[in-house]
Amino acid sequence: MRITAVVVKELIQLKRDPRSLVMIAMIPLIVMLLFGVGYGGGMGKISIAVVNLDKGSLSWMVIDSIMKTPSVYVKAYANSIEEGRELVKDGTVSATVVIPEGFTQELMRGTSTQVLVIVDESITTISSTIRNAMLAVTYKFQQELVRSVQGSSVELIYSSVYGPKVTNLEAFTPLVIGIVLQLVPTSLISIAICKEKERGTFEQLIMSPISRYDIIFGKLLAFFIATIADMLITLMVAVWIFDVSVRGPLIDAMVVSTLFLLGSLGLGMLISVLSRNQLQANQAAIFIFIPALLFSGALMPIDMLSPSARILANLTPMYYFVSAFREIMIKGFGLWQITWQVFALSVYMALMMVTAPLVLRLRVD
Amino acid sequence: MEYAIEISGLTKKFGDFVAVDNLDLRVRVGEIFGFLGPNGAGKTTTIRMMCGLMRQSKGTIRIYGYSIPEERSELIKITGYMAQRFSLYEDLSVYENMEFFGKLYGLNGENLRSRIRELLEFLDLKDVKDRLAGRLSGGMKQRLALGVALIHRPKLLVLDEPTAGVDPPIRRAFWEYLRGLNKEGTTILVTTHYMDEAENCDRIGLMNRGRLVAEGTPKELKRRVFGGDLVEVVLEGHIQGSVIKDFLNVKDLKYVGGETVLRIILKDASKELPSMLRRLDSMGLKVQSAEPINVTLEEVFIELVTKFEAAV
Repeated sequence: MRITAVVVKELIQLKRDPRSLVMIAMIPLIVMLLFGVGYGGGMGKISIAVVNLDKGSLSWMVIDSIMKTPSVYVKAYANSIEEGRELVKDGTVSATVVIPEGFTQELMRGTSTQVLVIVDESITTISSTIRNAMLAVTYKFQQELVRSVQGSSVELIYSSVYGPKVTNLEAFTPLVIGIVLQLVPTSLISIAICKEKERGTFEQLIMSPISRYDIIFGKLLAFFIATIADMLITLMVAVWIFDVSVRGPLIDAMVVSTLFLLGSLGLGMLISVLSRNQLQANQAAIFIFIPALLFSGALMPIDMLSPSARILANLTPMYYFVSAFREIMIKGFGLWQITWQVFALSVYMALMMVTAPLVLRLRVD
Repeated sequence: MEYAIEISGLTKKFGDFVAVDNLDLRVRVGEIFGFLGPNGAGKTTTIRMMCGLMRQSKGTIRIYGYSIPEERSELIKITGYMAQRFSLYEDLSVYENMEFFGKLYGLNGENLRSRIRELLEFLDLKDVKDRLAGRLSGGMKQRLALGVALIHRPKLLVLDEPTAGVDPPIRRAFWEYLRGLNKEGTTILVTTHYMDEAENCDRIGLMNRGRLVAEGTPKELKRRVFGGDLVEVVLEGHIQGSVIKDFLNVKDLKYVGGETVLRIILKDASKELPSMLRRLDSMGLKVQSAEPINVTLEEVFIELVTKFEAAV
């Protein structure tokens, strides 16, 4: 069988290429470990400053409530609004909470009052965290205030589905696995054909009775055998080292990962057939990765995107993978509950597999 | 079948540039045919079109009766090919390279192993069979490339500048292999820009600027170009050309010291030389020396190209 000859040859070459070996084994490991260290463990806190112009006791109830909020901590106290604003401007803190003069008095008198929050808006995640935190602080403060005067109030109670609680690490695991399963196979195989063209070996190869299907599928199979390790590494690191629990069947998670992996290999192969040289191929592999990341729906849920961006997301294979993987991992779904994503991934894979051999020409130009 | 290669009206254009211009060529079965010409003459392009690696703009190609590119898959079965640049896998060993290509030709098991053994023996590569191809010397690489080209016992061997950049002794040894193969009946088409190598060919075609400038056996070409044999005659004193020009075909004349050096062309030097010398003697001219010049193909080539350029 000619195709077996190609597979064996490719595997021998991979084995002897340190660069590829590092890419196959080390990159997924490093990415997963960095991710685990960065996103696992305790949550960090956002620093804020407090300006307390009030002389009464109620302001201390507010500050106490801020201190009990897990996402923020009081880093500094300032004496004036200007000073507080300066602290935000020079980056010492991300926000300053200003409790006005006469805060206690006015509340005691039964009139409304205001608390000023000066926010650094340059990083949206931080500013929205602060808004949420301050909302919670105010809510809790008012609850206590009402209780102290024996008034009635509305209290919020949360109850979760797919809980009890999804950690940050778990929330990002599907994306990180998706990144590894797109980036590594695509850029690895993207040089497969153009390297042969660049080195002149393609000319000798096509002077033998080999078909383009032998070339393409032989290489795909060899790289699939090699990169299946990536799928296993990423999953194992997540499950065993970071204690991420896959609530659905592990085998289903593997099926989805394999589909996506094959699609990535097909995409890389297509890039390789179309590229003139290895540099071009590498750049194309990375360039294609950027929209995949942006429209994966993991950085920003696609429901929150504009309609045109939503169309793009619907055309992004990574989106289907991340969503399928999340459903299996967090919601505990099986393949039959995510047929739409599985279907989309299968179409993507098939399309990539078919296009590359059709585009390849057995000629030198 | 009489002809291994029949090409007519072959043309290749790259935009406005005509790389191969209306080429006609026939190579007989069992011949060593040499394509001679400077870099950029269109030799590689012609070979690539013959092998279906490149599509011709115009013209027909028949290799052992198969028309190219339509019947390329048949051509591949009977053709061994060695590209200009070393084009085997440098990260595979000598043995692995042969094994890989052997399998592509459908060889396997004991058939494949014994064929590889045979070739390693023939090409003297046994001792380096496990060495990576990238670590071989130039001469070894070239032999390995020949070995891969021969793995399926081709009837036709197409070699594009097989000896480029290799030392003269190794080049000579390589030609020994080629002659050996040719004796067994392999037709060989080889391109080169080493004129001395071309003497090994049964017939040669001279290419320049995409055209076949001349074609024939090395001897034929030499005679045809000058219209006979070239003889150098040295006469005493400075002799005016006009004195002898009416009965001698003088190619050039120059004065060196007190002597006149003439290069003349005789139809057949072995017969005409004595009578010519007598005639010079009877005119009172003193002949210092007279000897036939061994014309090299290089001179033939330069002569032809000069004529060709003048005609264009």
